[in-house]
Amino acid sequence: MGIYLTLALNGIVNGSLYFLMAAGLTLIFGLMRVVNFAHGGLYLWGAYLAAFTFATTGNFTLALAGGAVVAIVLGVVMERGLIAFVYHNENGQLLVTMGIMLILTELIKVPFGPSELSANTPNDLSNSWLVGQVVIVQYQLFMIAASVIVFLLLLWVLHKTRLGMIVRAGVYNPELVEACGIAIRRVFTMVFAVGAGLAGLAGAIAGPYLGAVTPTMGFDMQLNVFIIVVVGGLGSLTGSFVASMLIGILTAVVSFYFSSLAVLVNVLVMVVVLLIRPQGLFGERESPA
Amino acid sequence: MTPRTWKIGSLFLLLLLAVLVPVLFGIGGPTNLLEQVFAFALFAMSYDLLIGYTGVVSFGHAVFFGTGAYVAGIFLVHSGGSTAGLLMGIVVALGVSVLLSLLIASISLRIRTVYFAMITLAVGQTFYVLAGSQMLQPLTNADDGMTVPLPVWLMHDRTVYYVTLLVLVCCVWLLRLFVRSPVGQVLQGIRENEGRVLALGHSVYRFKAVAFVISGLMATIAGILYVIAQTFVSTGVYDVSISLDVLLMTIIGGVGTLYGGLLGALLIIGAQTEFTNLAGTFPIFGRYTILFGVLYIVIVRFMPRGIVGTVAQALKRWSGQEE
Repeated sequence: MGIYLTLALNGIVNGSLYFLMAAGLTLIFGLMRVVNFAHGGLYLWGAYLAAFTFATTGNFTLALAGGAVVAIVLGVVMERGLIAFVYHNENGQLLVTMGIMLILTELIKVPFGPSELSANTPNDLSNSWLVGQVVIVQYQLFMIAASVIVFLLLLWVLHKTRLGMIVRAGVYNPELVEACGIAIRRVFTMVFAVGAGLAGLAGAIAGPYLGAVTPTMGFDMQLNVFIIVVVGGLGSLTGSFVASMLIGILTAVVSFYFSSLAVLVNVLVMVVVLLIRPQGLFGERESPA
Repeated sequence: MTPRTWKIGSLFLLLLLAVLVPVLFGIGGPTNLLEQVFAFALFAMSYDLLIGYTGVVSFGHAVFFGTGAYVAGIFLVHSGGSTAGLLMGIVVALGVSVLLSLLIASISLRIRTVYFAMITLAVGQTFYVLAGSQMLQPLTNADDGMTVPLPVWLMHDRTVYYVTLLVLVCCVWLLRLFVRSPVGQVLQGIRENEGRVLALGHSVYRFKAVAFVISGLMATIAGILYVIAQTFVSTGVYDVSISLDVLLMTIIGGVGTLYGGLLGALLIIGAQTEFTNLAGTFPIFGRYTILFGVLYIVIVRFMPRGIVGTVAQALKRWSGQEE
């Protein structure tokens, strides 16, 4: 029994991390119809900056903030400087964001080298307890809490505030929102910044959980998150949350029994979902563009 | 001179040069590099069929390239490098490629383009993991890769060079026939205005699937050429970076130009080799992928037709045949 609970807990922890990434991706897609293939790059930079900040200052809050801020800055520069040129050009977006991903992944190796950089858990969060047969690690609880708080906060903003109303309206008809006198471009940039910040935060949180940060972690993470947003339905926040937990738990279970085949199983899940519900579990059907 | 004469002339000149390389520069370094270029040129052109003629972007085209390389490699290894083994490998590789492309097409071509990009990326990664997994170790030698023996008649470098060149030329000719066929015309229609083609009563999905299958077949052949040229195959052939390199070759040469892939492959492989050499002295050149990333953005932003497309357009304007 203990093993199942441990796997489930690990899965939820994985899922929490996935959700922080998937939330940004899905928000950006929902509003701007842009799939950000550089999302993993923002995560990577967040992770490195946080690991570096924590190693030099010893202040974990500062490290988290640093990770999020660097991703926000990169995200805003990206959106304003590059992606703005390729709105309404779907293939252009794919190529440009993938190009940014390559740059971000390679550029991080210039100051930090191609090998891994160790990321330590802060002392305040490194307790663990034995409950029954399950080891509960404090840092994992922190990750779950962070993810749930972000989920609830996003839901609240989207559904209870004026800003959320504008964003939801923008998803359906950006032109009409603009005609109401709202600078929709500014909203675009803001949503992009929030999504980027979440990716940076996810990276900052992931470092101590993984024990080290590596240049390939962005690509690896991105792969799982794409599967998640496809399964959950692009543009749906709830879908992303459910799919994150689903894929998180599945990854934990499959890698325990057959290590390294987790990707295969995740892809199979994605295929099955696409065959049954092409728009994803929670996605809304849309007419082919 | 019309653009057509230019095109035929330059292609003929290129072919002549390619035939003469072993005579002029001898066997070894340059031919070895060019064999790689030939394989990747075919790979890039197969990709152009997809992105340039149907307008879908795949981030996992290495699935076909890698499968070609692996299946041919496995058959060659297990037959001890016999001609029969090679032929069987080719047939099986092509068969697997068709099945695979139909499978991927059936789950991903019916939905949005962005899904297609994400799904192909994920499927590509699955193959990468599978090829390196311990489970398939007896077949693929897992992470260590396989040294592939060749049939005796293919042992000589010069033969390999001319075989890869010949296959490339044949495939280019076939691709040309295909894009000029009625099917190819419909595909270009899909790229320009999908809704219109649909309204004309064509099954857009079926046409895209055909393009995807043929593109996959050509990429598989490219993979087979690669393994013959390299006599070695490892999980690297399934790497995302291969898919991304070939995508760059395609867009740098010119999307929708077909021949752009030839130029793109030459440029990118040449640059990679040059940078790798330079990295020995100046380690910063080892980070050349940064430049490739910048190229992605620059091309999309300033040169969406790529080199061949831009030059062709300039020639057209110059000879007074404005579009």
